[in-house]
Amino acid sequence: MRLYEFEGSDLFRREGIPVPNYAVTSSPREARQKAEEIGLPVVIKAQVLVGGRGLAGGVQVADSPDQAEEVAHRILSYSISGLPVQRVIVAQKVEVAREFYLGVTVDGYSGTPVVILSTAGGVSIEEMARAHPERVVSRQVPIATGLLLSEAQQMAQEGGLGGEELVQVTSILHTLYSVFRKYDALIAEINPLARTAQGNYLALDAKVEIDDSSLYRHPEFQVNREDRITNPLERKGAQIGVTYVDLDGEIGIIASGAGLGMATMDIIGRRFRPANFLETGGAISADLLYQVMDLVLQKKGLKAVFINLYGGINPIHEGAKGIVRYLREHKTTIPIIAKALGNRQEETWEILESGGVKVVTEVATEKGVEQLARLLEGGK
Amino acid sequence: MSILLNQDTRVLVQGITGRVGRAQTHWMLEYGTNIVAGVTPGKGGEEVEGIPVYDTVAEAVVRQGAEASVFFVPATLVKDAALETMESGIRLIVIVTEHVPIHDVMELRAYALERGVRILGPTSPGIITPGEAKMGIMPGNMFSPGRIGVISRSGTLSYEISINLVAAGLGQSTAVGMGADAVVFTSMPELLELFAKDPDTDLVVIVGEVGGTQEENAAQFITRQMTKPVVAYIAGHNAPEGKRMGHAGAIIQGSMGTPQSKVTALRQAGVQIAEHPLAVVELVQKLL
Repeated sequence: MRLYEFEGSDLFRREGIPVPNYAVTSSPREARQKAEEIGLPVVIKAQVLVGGRGLAGGVQVADSPDQAEEVAHRILSYSISGLPVQRVIVAQKVEVAREFYLGVTVDGYSGTPVVILSTAGGVSIEEMARAHPERVVSRQVPIATGLLLSEAQQMAQEGGLGGEELVQVTSILHTLYSVFRKYDALIAEINPLARTAQGNYLALDAKVEIDDSSLYRHPEFQVNREDRITNPLERKGAQIGVTYVDLDGEIGIIASGAGLGMATMDIIGRRFRPANFLETGGAISADLLYQVMDLVLQKKGLKAVFINLYGGINPIHEGAKGIVRYLREHKTTIPIIAKALGNRQEETWEILESGGVKVVTEVATEKGVEQLARLLEGGK
Repeated sequence: MSILLNQDTRVLVQGITGRVGRAQTHWMLEYGTNIVAGVTPGKGGEEVEGIPVYDTVAEAVVRQGAEASVFFVPATLVKDAALETMESGIRLIVIVTEHVPIHDVMELRAYALERGVRILGPTSPGIITPGEAKMGIMPGNMFSPGRIGVISRSGTLSYEISINLVAAGLGQSTAVGMGADAVVFTSMPELLELFAKDPDTDLVVIVGEVGGTQEENAAQFITRQMTKPVVAYIAGHNAPEGKRMGHAGAIIQGSMGTPQSKVTALRQAGVQIAEHPLAVVELVQKLL
């Protein structure tokens, strides 16, 4: 779960990473008040869960209370990458003398935390690594011992830092690593960390993503995760416990596994356009498949639905009952075609056929998609 | 022969008294797996499908000689259970459980490396040596004994590819599910190495997907030291950037994890790339 900047900043502040004074609001009038309390000038920043808000006009400076209200009003009317801005941060504007990048993330292949320090900040770390690789120092950290302060200091030295800068930056990096560990983060990133003209060190942004699988042990993040999903079909998918990815096509897909779902998309994509990706996970039941049918059929402009199931951990015969119940209760005019293999496959086929589903008994999904093509072309 | 698992392997089932553990124990036994014990704390003394249940792994090891363990343990308990299992001297663990916290996996991975314990998963469908034994959830009727090694990041897709091979008269020496998370315990190169050494494997099929760098690392290994032909299919050519495609590890992030990156790396290493799952069969037939 990606945190909003203000949530990440709250976390940083709580854990001892210095941040500028700021307030969060969804009202332009309150933005004006907060700007006056914090002291002008202020920076007003859109709170959205995508990058690139600066280029989209989502970060603006205000020098007066009037301007703060006006800027907040404007930013709150924006959509950034299709996401409406619902809140802004009003933050003290600081005079920046130098910027750094500090990050901790997971190296998937080695399965270790990796700590990254760049002696220039402000742009994305990927861009920085391309343009100025000499300024980026990264290190895999053995998880059992964690990041030692001395290791952080070595990294800073390699990046060319010394004196007070070395001490301050490494102390914050060390704290950032403990935030990463304590909150089960996938990413904890400060970009930029600023040294101000007055010699203070402040995190001017906060990008934190928490591992969804760990949320059970973090009551502090017991927010409604589904509310963060803006696409209504994807949100509904999350609510019923499946992964739905909305796409721009005409063939609905229901698959009982992620790899199978992606392969089904690949195969359908050779002749048609997939309308969605949907993966049920390993907890198929009659009720779940009933809800899944309801979800997939909500998509506008569907020409057919292709169902691809394997009964390993999943009781596919139970799933079939849910599909058939849905079809009995709802008038569906488009063809529904299903391939279902594995434990209790014959029973599953019988149930599906009894509900008017076209069953494919061949093993290759390609053969099923050929049948789908014949059905669609025959219907024309 | 095979890798990791055969009909003699003395298998323990952890979480055997749960709904999934019970059902899968039934299917594993029916397949011929040599299950010798189950563990569920608090259920010691019970039986599931005629298999004795113990409270601790140590008891299962001492009394029944368990040497490999398959996990149907809830995600919140996996870390503790896996530490107990490694402490008890078990050398092979298959974690079927989904949604294990990634920090737990990182900690366990470091521990397992130090102890030399082989772990597959999390979110692994398991291992099957067709005709002999299976540890995991894969349906047995998708596989048949043969000489092809299968390494897969996805459960269901490995079933599809395997049954396509079976329909063409080609079976598997062993099929291994690596697990679908962003961090897994055993890498693709490590599994390639096991198959390279297995005298009864002639060719390896890689079933990859978008996200991470397993396939790119496999390509490096193949270039350096793979002695047997390799065929690969990479799922997710239509996957949009920035979306998790059902698996925690299946996400394209910027230019990282794209199918193009994987296909290019594997091609350069001399791997035959199937454009769609069924095309794997033709490529395998050509190479054998």
